[in-house]
Amino acid sequence: MNTSVLAAENLAVESRLREGRRLPVLAGISFTLEAGKVLGLVGESGAGKSMIGRAVAQLLPPGFAVAGGALAFAGRDLVGMATQERRALLGREIAFIPQEPLSALNPVMTIGAQFGEHLARLGISSEARQREEARAMLEAVHLPRATELLRQFPHELSGGMCQRVLIAMAFASKPKLVIADEPTTALDATIQARIIALMDEMRHAYGASLLFITHDLRLAANFCDEILVLYAGRAVEKGEARELLSAPLHPYTRCLQLAVPSLSAPARELFTLPGEMPGLTTLQTLAGCRFAPRCPNAGEICRKEEPKLLAAAQGGEAACFRTELTLKIKTGDQAAPAMPKITAPLLLVEKIQKRYRSRHGLFGKTEVLAIDEVSFALAENEFVGVVGESGSGKSTLAKLIIGLEPPSAGRIELCGSDALDRSETARRRRIETAQMVFQDPQSALNPRRRVASIVTQVLEAAAPRLPPDERKRRAAELLAEVGLSAELAARYPSQLSGGQKQRVNIARALCAAPKLLIADEIVSGLDVSVQAQLIALLRRLRSELSFALLFISHDLAVVRKLCERVLVMRHGKVVEQGNTKDVFGAPQHPYTRELLAASGG
Amino acid sequence: MIVQLLGLFGRRLVVAIPILLIVSALVFVVLRVLPVDPAAMSMPPNATQAEIELKRQEMGLDRPLPEQYAIWLGRTVRGDLGASIHFRRAVSSLIAETLPATVELALLAMLIAAGLGFAGGLLLFHLRGTWRGEAADLGSTVLMSAPDFLWGLMFILAFGVLWPLLPFTGRLASSFARPVHTGFLLLDTLIEGRPDMFLDALKHMILPATALGLAFSVPIMRVLRSTLFEVEQADYIRQARLRGVSESRILLRHALKNAILPTLTLMGVQFGFLFGGTLLIEVIYSYPGLGNLMVDAVRNADLPIIQAVALAYAAVVLIINIVVDGLYLVLNPRLRSAR
Repeated sequence: MNTSVLAAENLAVESRLREGRRLPVLAGISFTLEAGKVLGLVGESGAGKSMIGRAVAQLLPPGFAVAGGALAFAGRDLVGMATQERRALLGREIAFIPQEPLSALNPVMTIGAQFGEHLARLGISSEARQREEARAMLEAVHLPRATELLRQFPHELSGGMCQRVLIAMAFASKPKLVIADEPTTALDATIQARIIALMDEMRHAYGASLLFITHDLRLAANFCDEILVLYAGRAVEKGEARELLSAPLHPYTRCLQLAVPSLSAPARELFTLPGEMPGLTTLQTLAGCRFAPRCPNAGEICRKEEPKLLAAAQGGEAACFRTELTLKIKTGDQAAPAMPKITAPLLLVEKIQKRYRSRHGLFGKTEVLAIDEVSFALAENEFVGVVGESGSGKSTLAKLIIGLEPPSAGRIELCGSDALDRSETARRRRIETAQMVFQDPQSALNPRRRVASIVTQVLEAAAPRLPPDERKRRAAELLAEVGLSAELAARYPSQLSGGQKQRVNIARALCAAPKLLIADEIVSGLDVSVQAQLIALLRRLRSELSFALLFISHDLAVVRKLCERVLVMRHGKVVEQGNTKDVFGAPQHPYTRELLAASGG
Repeated sequence: MIVQLLGLFGRRLVVAIPILLIVSALVFVVLRVLPVDPAAMSMPPNATQAEIELKRQEMGLDRPLPEQYAIWLGRTVRGDLGASIHFRRAVSSLIAETLPATVELALLAMLIAAGLGFAGGLLLFHLRGTWRGEAADLGSTVLMSAPDFLWGLMFILAFGVLWPLLPFTGRLASSFARPVHTGFLLLDTLIEGRPDMFLDALKHMILPATALGLAFSVPIMRVLRSTLFEVEQADYIRQARLRGVSESRILLRHALKNAILPTLTLMGVQFGFLFGGTLLIEVIYSYPGLGNLMVDAVRNADLPIIQAVALAYAAVVLIINIVVDGLYLVLNPRLRSAR
C-alpha cells in the first residue's frame, strides 16, 4: 500500500525569460511526505521553498513552469493533471494556510460570507447549515464568540484571529494535505507559538499531513518529523528533524544554526556567513557546489563538481563532499561587552503620554492611550532594547522621541536640551543628534534616488553648499562603514537585495554622525544570515563610531544579543526594565515571562 | 451603519452651505461686473434714459453691490429667485420645470457610462495580453477622443436620419399630454401608469444620454481594468484560488467588489463634468432642460436666471458627491468601523 501523500521525484522548476532563455529555479528536488507526518522545507528567501508549495497547486508566478520530474499527490500526477481536476482537489483534499493572514481574507466580505462560499463548494448548500458548520469549525480553532465573528470583516480581527479563521477553513474539508507557507512569520512571538500548537492539534484531529515551509530552522526542527533544507534551488540536506538540528551534515545548515541568537544558551558569537545567496543569473556561471563561494569548508573539489544528495553513514542525506568538516564550524564565546561609561544621560524621557482620538458615529469619540506614562533614561553609547507585541506602543515611542509626533504630556530631553522645542534651530540640532532607521527598507528608500544621494541626504539641509565631490567622498566613506562595496553608490534601491537596502538605511542614519540611533524592527523580516550580518555590523559600528542605540524589536533573542538593557512594553506601559541579563534571566513581570516562554527561551 | 451614514450626511451638508454661499457670491459679482444693463434690457427700445434710471432704482441696481447681494440672498433663501427679464416669469418655476429634466438626463447618462464602463472594464481585463485586448484598448481610446457633442451629432445622423430608429428632439412625442407630478418624466409616466408613455420618454432620452455617457465610460473602463490588475495580485485572490474557487467567481465576487471602490470615486468626480456637458447636448437635441434655459438666459443677459441656474448646477454636483460618499461608506466596510 502506498502511504505517501505528496511525493516529488527530481522536480525541476524553471523561469522562462522573454528571449527564450531558461533559468533553472529548482532542480533535482525529491521528497516523500508520508500520511500523518509533517515535512519541513527550510531555506532563506530565494532558496525556492515557496516555489514547491506553489508547484503543488500549479499556481506558479507568471513565467515559471515545471520543467521536469514528477510531483504526485496520493499517487496522482499533479503536473500533467487537467486544470479542472486539479481545482477539484484544491480546497478539498489539498488546503493552504497563507503567510499574511490579514491580507489573505477578502476585506470587503464578512468572515461568514467567505466561510460560507468555501462550505458551499464543499457541498453544503443550505445557508443555515453553512453557518452551523462554520461556527463549529471556528470553535474547533478556539475562537470565542464564533457567531458574532461570522458577521465581522477581516479588518476587525487581529492577525492571529485571521490566521485561526484561515486554519479553520483549511481543515473544514478534512484535507489529506495541508501546505502552510510561513504561517507565523507575520505574527507576534506569543501568537506564533499558539498558532503552531493549533496547527499541530488540528492535523492530529483531522489526520492531515502537513508541508511546512519556513525560514526558521529551529521552529521546523521542533514541529516537523523530517526536514529538507534548500539552498539556491537545490536540496542540500534531508533528515530526521531533531537530528538535523543537533548534528547538521551540510555546512549551510550548520551556518544557519549558528546564525540564530539564542535566548537561553550561554552567549556565543553569531556565525556570519559572508556574502549572499547567488541570484538566478549568477548561478548560471557558477561551477561546482552552489554554496562553495560562501562555505568555510570549501575545498578544490567543491568548486569543480556539484555534489549529489547522498545518504550519510550516520543517517540523513547531504549534498556535500566534506560532511566530516561540518561540525568543525564553530563560533567563539561572546566577549563580554565593555560596559559603557555611564556619563550624563543622553536621552531622558519623563512620564510621556500619547493619546489618539478616533471618531465614530455621529458624535462618538474615543481616546486611545498609546503611550502611558513612560519614563526611562539612555546613556551615551548605551544599547537599549524595547520589546513587546505589536500594538504595545514600541513604534509610537520611537516616533515621539525622534519628534515625528508630539507627546500629549511629559518631557523628553536630548543632550540636555528640551526635545519638544518646535523651533527650527532646535529641530535641526535634534536631527544631528538623533537619527532613525525604519523597519521596511523597501519603502524607506526613495526609489528614484541613487544610493550615494540617499546616504548623504542629511547633508542637503545641513551643508547645502557642499561641493559634489565632497559629498561623493562622504558617501563612499559611509558605504565602506556599513560594509558595502563602493560600486553600489551609483545604483538605485531596486537594484539592491534586502540586506543591502537595510545597510544603506543604516548608512543614511549614520551620515550626520548621530549620538542616538533609533532602530525600529530593522532586522525583522530579514533572513537569519542577513540578520546575523546586521547584528555584527551594529556591534562593530558601536566600537568604531560610538553612539547609543534604542533598538525596538519583537525578537527577544536578538535584543539579548545586542543590548545591555531592555524595556518590556505592554499596552503603552513599560512593565519591566533593567539589565538584559537580569530581565531575561529572572523576569519579574508575568508578561515578560509569557514573552520569554513564547520565544522558546 | 445607518448612524454613520446620517453622521456623514449631516457633516457634509454643513460643509455644503458655505460652498453654496461662496459659489453664489462669485456668480453674483461676476455678473454685476459684466457690461450689461439688465434695466435697459428689460425696457422697450424706445424708453428714455430717465425711464431706464427709474427702472434701475426699482430693480435695486443703484445700491452698493454687497447690499444687492444681501437682498438677493435673503430672497433666495425664502425660495424667491426673482423674475426672468426675458420670459417675464418667476425664475423658480422655470428652474422647477427644467432642473428635473436635466438631472434625469445626466443620471441616465451616468448609468449608461457605468454600464458600458463596467462591461468594458471586465472585457478589457478578460482580454488582457491578447491581440483582441490591444484592439479593444485602441477602440476605447477612439471612444474617449471624440467629444460628446460630436457623438450627439453622429447619433442624430445615424439613428435619427439615415436609419430612423429613435426620436431626437424634445422629451416626449407631441401626441402625449405630459403628466406633471415630480417633473422627472420617467417617474411621472410610471405614476400615471402609462408604460407606452414611459417607453416614449425613454426613447427620447437614449440618444442624448448615450452621446453624453460614451466618453465618460472610457475612464471608468480604464480605472476598473487597472484596479482589477492590482487586485488580482492580492493575497486574498491567491488564497481564494488555492481554495479552488472558480475563476469567474473570483473575478465577479472577490475582485470586482474590491475594484469597484476607486471606480466609484472616479464616477463622483466625473459627474460634475457630465452634468456640465448636458448644456451642449440639450441644445443639439432641443431637450428642454437647464442647459437650454441657460443658453437662452445668456443670450438675453437674463441675470436672475443665470444666477439661479449656476446655483442649481453647484447644488446638484454637491448632492451627488454626498451620495457617492455615502455609497462608498456602504461598500467599504473598512470605513465603517471606528479605527
